Amino acid sequence: MNPALLRVWLTVLFLACVAFAPFDRAADISVTAEMSRPEISAGEMAELQIKVTGAQQADVPQRIAVDGLQVRLTGQSTQVQMVNFKVSSSVVYSYIVMPLRTGNFTIPGVTITADGRQFRTAPFQFAVADTRDAPAPAVLQPAQSAPPPLPGLQPPPRRARPAAQRVDESRLSFGEISCAKKAIFAGEVVPVEIRYYFDANYQVQVRGKVDFGSEGIVAERFPDPKESREERDGTVYNVLTFRTLLSAVKPGTIDVPPAKLDCQVQVPGGAPPGFDDPIFRQLMGGQSPFMQSRDLQVKTGPLHLEILPLPKEGRPSPFSGAVGQFDIDAVVPNPKPAPGDPVTLSVKIGGKGNFKGMGAPVLTDDEGWRSYPPTDKFDGSDELSYSGVKSFDFTLIAQETKNASPGAEFSYFDPTTAKYVTLNTKPLPLQASPGAASNPTVTPDTTAGSGEKSPPKSSGSDHQEVKQGDPIAGITLRSWKTPMARSEFLIATLAMLTAAAALTGILWYRHLQAHGGSARARRRRRISELLESVRSESLDATATFEAALGYLELAVPASEEREALINSITSRRDQLKYGAGGTRPLASAERAEILTAITGLSGNTHRS
Amino acid sequence: MRRFPSILCLLCVVALSSLHADTASQAQAAAESLRSGHPIDAASRYRTVLTDSSFRAAGSPELWYNLGLAEEKSANAAVASLCYRRALLLDPTFTPAQRQLETVLVTLGLPVPSGWHESVRQALHPEMLVVAGSILGWVGVFGLILLVFLAPWRKLAIGAVIVLVILGHGAASLGTLVDPRRVAADKAVVTAKKAPVLHATPADSGAPGGTLTPGILVSVLSRNGAWWYVSGGPGLTGWIPSDTVTPLLPAVSSSAGGSAGSAGGS
Repeated sequence: MNPALLRVWLTVLFLACVAFAPFDRAADISVTAEMSRPEISAGEMAELQIKVTGAQQADVPQRIAVDGLQVRLTGQSTQVQMVNFKVSSSVVYSYIVMPLRTGNFTIPGVTITADGRQFRTAPFQFAVADTRDAPAPAVLQPAQSAPPPLPGLQPPPRRARPAAQRVDESRLSFGEISCAKKAIFAGEVVPVEIRYYFDANYQVQVRGKVDFGSEGIVAERFPDPKESREERDGTVYNVLTFRTLLSAVKPGTIDVPPAKLDCQVQVPGGAPPGFDDPIFRQLMGGQSPFMQSRDLQVKTGPLHLEILPLPKEGRPSPFSGAVGQFDIDAVVPNPKPAPGDPVTLSVKIGGKGNFKGMGAPVLTDDEGWRSYPPTDKFDGSDELSYSGVKSFDFTLIAQETKNASPGAEFSYFDPTTAKYVTLNTKPLPLQASPGAASNPTVTPDTTAGSGEKSPPKSSGSDHQEVKQGDPIAGITLRSWKTPMARSEFLIATLAMLTAAAALTGILWYRHLQAHGGSARARRRRRISELLESVRSESLDATATFEAALGYLELAVPASEEREALINSITSRRDQLKYGAGGTRPLASAERAEILTAITGLSGNTHRS
Repeated sequence: MRRFPSILCLLCVVALSSLHADTASQAQAAAESLRSGHPIDAASRYRTVLTDSSFRAAGSPELWYNLGLAEEKSANAAVASLCYRRALLLDPTFTPAQRQLETVLVTLGLPVPSGWHESVRQALHPEMLVVAGSILGWVGVFGLILLVFLAPWRKLAIGAVIVLVILGHGAASLGTLVDPRRVAADKAVVTAKKAPVLHATPADSGAPGGTLTPGILVSVLSRNGAWWYVSGGPGLTGWIPSDTVTPLLPAVSSSAGGSAGSAGGS
């Protein structure tokens, strides 16, 4: 089968199902109503949704009259589902609820006409609280689940798409921007809503992100837009609603340029030859099956803002830039820490305003505590983070025994009253005491009273007198290397070693000098003395022979010749010693003979 | 021409003194910024000061301590612990740094190091132990030499100087043993704000084996490119990305302050 013909048959079949579907669902219509929040604070808005299931259209009132509230219809969205050729549809009508005053209200039941029948919703109880009286900030629950990111808008199922013709781009799409206030204070954040309307008869694909901003203002990142449907001047539009927060940096007048969004729209195009038959177009329900893409940039109008400066008079000292309506609370999660352990003081700032530009609260009554800059965490109760609770967790360490935490002070500027407000929390009960190692300022009396150990004294560090947490003046240079790894230390050690060795040498030498030198020198000296004694003519014969024997024992190596000579000299000495002539000098000839004999044996010794 | 060396020396002295004065004035400005409640600006200034070439071979415990204060007040507790550890590395008896380190470690949920090493080096500066011990030891050596050669009969005096030699050089050895710089080259501190996961292999796909608490001191056992094999204690051994830790010793060849700065950003 020709694919084009198959497509035609399927289209006819779908339209037939849709056409006969009302007969099926007429008897199954239900109406429900739901409020996004049962209670809001003054200045906030809520959303009322009336859902009609089983019908594609219903007559609903444009406004719901409630004294003290403004309830206005803002748009509708339709869902059509077909399962097993059974069509079910529902239409949701959205009303915005704006409080005009605080108090409790009853939103009456709303009469709705669908398929000729009348339905009535149940009445609602609704409360608007004064923010400053509220004990804790209201927690905004999301009204509904977030839509898919930047969807391609689909045309309505029952609307006939116009045939190929010139499209009026001014009616095809347009944008609107609305800001809750035209005059804001510097630093104040205000919700801004940007709506882009696209003719529901055309398929639109959003490309890129919203281009919005100007010098002097700060716009937060846009979360995913909400999709709805709204009728204007008889034309049904698909509406993409972007919401963000806007804040101004400096006072003055700012004209914010239009917010732009690039998209691509499918508009009818001319049919190619062979497909421009009127019968074919009639079979398609008057639609042209041939579309062409066209790039489109949708713009809103400009936004004129008057930025007012924050008043200087009356500005409290703890003010750190918070603008909005806030409340304060404080808790101590661990009121009984171990000695020396830190205590966490969690100060919670709730409400609505510029949480991102908000500074930390200031601690009061913090004498005896060592505190550190807090860590902060924000829990937003809406997708814009316009309202929520910001927690500042202070880490505190007791420097003395404490029974209460410090208090906290927080100042903000309330743009509704144009005045500064200062909030306080009272010290909370706890039991904290300093640790033994982290209490340099504890006096002996205090420690004795609390039964704690006195802190260990530092070993002569010059930095001990410095107040904890204060920077230390002065610069001393210390090496990153150990002394053993530093060249100067190694050189010094080597020098010491050399000096010790030199000293030892010197002293050893002197010792040798004092004791006649070395054994060899003493031996040589003795040999010379003995030889001189043998040569001496003044010595008696016995002494000469004794000297010759001593010479032989010292200067001549052991040998048979030496033993024979020693025996000969000993025999001659004994002969003279125990006979006659031992006391007279030896004859020159015999002396010369002995000299020749002993020096002949010693060889070189004698010559030297 | 004879005066040229003298003039050159004078110029060198003037240049060094002006450099030191400039560094001191920058440190003073950083301290003022810290006192006036601008810790981020103060930290930036201290890091700039620490990049000075005069801090390449040596470090200033005061500057590292002050940088630690600035980092701590900027909510960078892990980097602050690194700075305090470096200050204590240079001066283990630096009591304010010891106290701040203990506070930061308690805040990070880490145990405060305790042991005889810590006790000794907090009581006596290891460098003082080494230098004083060496001096005493060498005095003993020279005394022993003199006594042995000049008065060997004085046995008691010889025994006393032998004890002096042993005590002096023993103290020097003890100082070297407890000096934290001896093993600092293989140490690093986890400075990532998010606890890094220990992997069994040097890859993201490696089996996880626990996490390392920011601020913990780890031993670097091996390096493999961008992955380091570290041990943070019993059962805490594995591979982690090197950009999650900062070596305890600042890079001597490069800027010392940059090490802390990069740690803060990781």
